[in-house]
Amino acid sequence: MSGTLTAEVVPDAAALRLERRARALAEMEADGIDILILGREGNARYVAGAPRLWTAGSRPFTPGCVLVRATGDVHLLSTWDEGIPDDIPHEHLYGITFNPMNMVGVLQGVAGAATAARVGTDSMTSMFAQLLPAAFPAAELVDGEATMRRARRLKTPAEVEEIRTSVALAERCLSAAEDVLRPGVSERGLTGAFMERMALEGVTTPSSQDVAWITSAEHPWRRGDRDALVRDGDLVVLSGGVVRGGYTGELARTHDLGGAHRAVVDRLGELRGALLAACEPGAPASRLLDVHRSAGLEPPPVPIARGLGLGFDLPIVSASLPATAEEDTLDPGVVFALTSYVWEQGSGAAIAVDPVHVTAHGPELLTTTPSTGSTEDPSHEGARP
Amino acid sequence: MAGGRAASGLMERVTPTRVPAAPDLERLRRDRIARVRDLMQRQGLDALVLIGNTNVVYATGATWPLGDPGRANFEQPVAVVLADDEWPHLFTPLPDDPGLPADHVHGPVYLDLDEGVRQFERRLADLVPAGAAIGVDEWTFAMSRHSTLLFGGGAPRDGGKVINKAKAIKTPDELAGMREALRITEQAIAAVQAQLAPGMRQIELTATFLREVFAAGADANTLDPIWQVMPPSMGEGPWTTHGDLACPLLTTERELQRGDVLWVDTSITHRGFHSDFGRTWIVGDEPNDRQRAQFDTWQAVMDAVLAVTRAGAAQSELTAAARAVVGGETPWMTHFYLGHGLGIDAAEMPYVGSDLGEQFDATHTLEAGMVLVLEPLIWDDGAAGYRAEEVVLITEDGWEPMTDYPYDPFR
Repeated sequence: MSGTLTAEVVPDAAALRLERRARALAEMEADGIDILILGREGNARYVAGAPRLWTAGSRPFTPGCVLVRATGDVHLLSTWDEGIPDDIPHEHLYGITFNPMNMVGVLQGVAGAATAARVGTDSMTSMFAQLLPAAFPAAELVDGEATMRRARRLKTPAEVEEIRTSVALAERCLSAAEDVLRPGVSERGLTGAFMERMALEGVTTPSSQDVAWITSAEHPWRRGDRDALVRDGDLVVLSGGVVRGGYTGELARTHDLGGAHRAVVDRLGELRGALLAACEPGAPASRLLDVHRSAGLEPPPVPIARGLGLGFDLPIVSASLPATAEEDTLDPGVVFALTSYVWEQGSGAAIAVDPVHVTAHGPELLTTTPSTGSTEDPSHEGARP
Repeated sequence: MAGGRAASGLMERVTPTRVPAAPDLERLRRDRIARVRDLMQRQGLDALVLIGNTNVVYATGATWPLGDPGRANFEQPVAVVLADDEWPHLFTPLPDDPGLPADHVHGPVYLDLDEGVRQFERRLADLVPAGAAIGVDEWTFAMSRHSTLLFGGGAPRDGGKVINKAKAIKTPDELAGMREALRITEQAIAAVQAQLAPGMRQIELTATFLREVFAAGADANTLDPIWQVMPPSMGEGPWTTHGDLACPLLTTERELQRGDVLWVDTSITHRGFHSDFGRTWIVGDEPNDRQRAQFDTWQAVMDAVLAVTRAGAAQSELTAAARAVVGGETPWMTHFYLGHGLGIDAAEMPYVGSDLGEQFDATHTLEAGMVLVLEPLIWDDGAAGYRAEEVVLITEDGWEPMTDYPYDPFR
């Protein structure tokens, strides 16, 4: 079983990238945006379909990809053509630069730059707020992230399959971590086992590097020292994700080492079932928060649903964003990581993260193996499903 | 640990003076915030709002395993630094204890969403008065729509510059932290190099590196590890925008052959410090005479550059020294640089020999406490080339090595 990598660096499939690009162009049309300048890797991948070097952590805005509405042309920051689809010609590639004036020169060379009336970007820095008018003298700089979000929010069937494949890989990587989960192993050791399997399967880019969490019995949302070792009696969350073919696949399971926290794990199972059942097509996103509340459980401080796709996608459903949840609906075609979270004093936290695809017929779990929210006791050899 | 290289005592020969054995994290945090506040006062800034992951790491001392960049849009610690407060504020979704006073640690904010920005605006109003001069490192359109505090007077001031300037000079505690990150990296690299053999695939090198680097104590891998097989001639490689080398190219399932020339480049973080590692390896073979000559020339370039490396040196002295060894050619990747700063980011100021230009290099000088990664290369068309990285601390009278990983199989 392998990832998308082969001995060659290959672009995303033509049908996939052209359908995505068409969606982006349609949303540009709707917003009257002439030129879209994308800094976020997920947005650039969506439009260009080219894998580029992965680095961890956020990056400040820089023009990494340019999409021109009138022609559909893509200009891409890439100093070489390896992995670049043939619909992006050499003359539309531009090299790495540390000199913002050189970047302005590149943008000035984009057809229509001088006359563009509306130029969208997906975020901004002081430097580029000052420099972009030199490349686009007639343009108003507008929100291009909103444009991309609408394009990306509902997944095409091909995209759902991409995410499903990424999830399947994440599951195998999580199993590799489960295989070494026992008292005495460190959180880092578990992370290393996940990452090693991921790379051996042909994917070298994680979505998260926070794979193992020995949860606290005293504080509802607290990590200890990352050098701590797993002990019998711990509730340990294993949570992993991969970025394969650009698409994120994530999931999490909780392990009750020694089996002393059956009640918490059972509550997690009940909550998880209720949350999944609430993912009905057309349901208000706030219904997920209602489920948490009616179960009498405090939601975690992080979103209980967040989109899966290329990097960052809607929906974002968080208890601290009630109005956003009221306005959003779980339309068929959304794919998100659904987080079920239970914490109990004296036990710790039990967490399940499930990748969910909302279809016209109801929620579909994108995992390949039925997860129980994990009630198995991994300290028993041979307990692997 | 696989292999015997680590057991031989990586970094035992090198101990930069004035660097403690381990960082004092409390002193490190105090020193940093004092430096940031000093720069803020000099620039007339009352507050900084920081969003970029590594800017937040620097300003608050909070660290977490950095994830895919896409995560930052929903999992993004945000820092607010006040000119009149010795502690920074941190808004965080993470369960990690950042070691700040409880009244300076707040729940997460979502600056990509309109509702999230409206909430942040209210919380920011509790910290800064209307009309305060606030610097921001970057912003979303939701911020420009909904934050009067930040956008009431037009586009906000550049807060990222403050951090760029502050972080360029490392404190002794920061140097100690960087040494740990470098040691962890080299420990994992030693395991990979011990395993290197014909028939292995590039991804297997990555698998070993990732397993070992977490075992050695890394918080996160920060660069998809590079094990690029260099073609003998540039013309056999991919087309490039500048007609120069294509590097770094992505790792694949490519099987390594005996004699393949590998250019290696990796980076991790530990406690918020980035490492950098670069060497040339030959798969299952010793270098031939031509390859040894490449290394000798590379060493001559490195020696010439280090001979002029000291606090107060213009960056152009380094680039001139490198070029003089090779008859005026440019012995580094022209889409990168001869050297770059290292520490809070994998590449940060100073940039030496970049396309910022000759004038830039002539007017910028090195300062004591900077950590510079020098990465010249020797390309010998027809026989590939040699590239490696040397991490050095700039001192008043010269430089000190930060690591001593061997140059096998070349020396």
